[in-house]
Amino acid sequence: MVNANKSDDLSLISRFKAGDISAFEEILLRHQDKIYNLCRRMLGNSHDAEDATQDVFLKAYQNINKFKPEASLYTWLFRIAVNTCIDYKREPFFESLFKTSKEGDVFVVDSPAGSPSPDRLYESKQISDAIQLTLSRLSAKLRAVIVLKEIEGLSYEEIAEVLDVSIGTVKSRISRARDDLKEVLKKFREQK
Amino acid sequence: MRCSKRKLISPYIDGELNENKRSLLESHLTGCRECAQELEELKKIHMLLSSAEPFEVPHGFPTRVLANIRSNEQRRSNDFVHIFKRLTEGFAVLLLIVVGMILGRFLSKTLAPEKGNVVASLSLDIFAPAPPDSVGGVYLAMMETNNEK
Repeated sequence: MVNANKSDDLSLISRFKAGDISAFEEILLRHQDKIYNLCRRMLGNSHDAEDATQDVFLKAYQNINKFKPEASLYTWLFRIAVNTCIDYKREPFFESLFKTSKEGDVFVVDSPAGSPSPDRLYESKQISDAIQLTLSRLSAKLRAVIVLKEIEGLSYEEIAEVLDVSIGTVKSRISRARDDLKEVLKKFREQK
Repeated sequence: MRCSKRKLISPYIDGELNENKRSLLESHLTGCRECAQELEELKKIHMLLSSAEPFEVPHGFPTRVLANIRSNEQRRSNDFVHIFKRLTEGFAVLLLIVVGMILGRFLSKTLAPEKGNVVASLSLDIFAPAPPDSVGGVYLAMMETNNEK
């Protein structure tokens, strides 16, 4: 399946390089969900995530000649996305993510769309808030590695390819990120 | 003092341990409370993060991306035209200066009188053909008389 996807991607890239612009549109439709979700987890809100995702595809469009066929298109796009999000300095992540309401310290975080019922929506929003809140406390590099592992489900080898680091570095960053997350969750529990 | 096997728990959760290390850790976990507790903590984090529901891409997103790419390409093309126009203007000014210099040099050679003619043109001999009764003739006669003195 992965190989089939890869060969489909390669054929789309060949068509695009030959001047078929519609092939890029197909690449965009195939990968936009993954890239948008990664940017959303990295940046914390929909507006910044959309801006960053647009940047990712613009960079991909302009640099498609630099793509090496032996690599996977999604890992190449993930790499552009992680670098774009790390460089994204519109406003501090913490400020963009949480806005305190007039009533008190209520965190307002964008939640996933399409939840079926109010109860489900509430539950989903609580989980989503908790996830974004914990991720927001990590450094950008640790956030990237933990999002790629825990949410996107990439293997250590794939993460190493995306971040252009060794598997040993991936392993140690994931371990450090988990240690930090443990501390964050511990503090939340103590606050409650 | 932390248990030395603790560092294996993170890759264990991720399924990145080989068969030997995995069975070694699993048997260790039955007797080590610290590692068992660490495993539980990491499992909770894993469950929390892996329960994240995917976000939906905003409506009309692909259209906006493609429009952004098109406008960016247009802007790059306009930038290129602008730079090319500026370079052409600069080159035209430079060309005019060079042509002016060449033309000036050429004209100075063809229109300027020869060295001998310049001296002759400054000589009073040019008044020689003047009739003796004319003002010029009288003037020349006076000058010659003064020179002889």
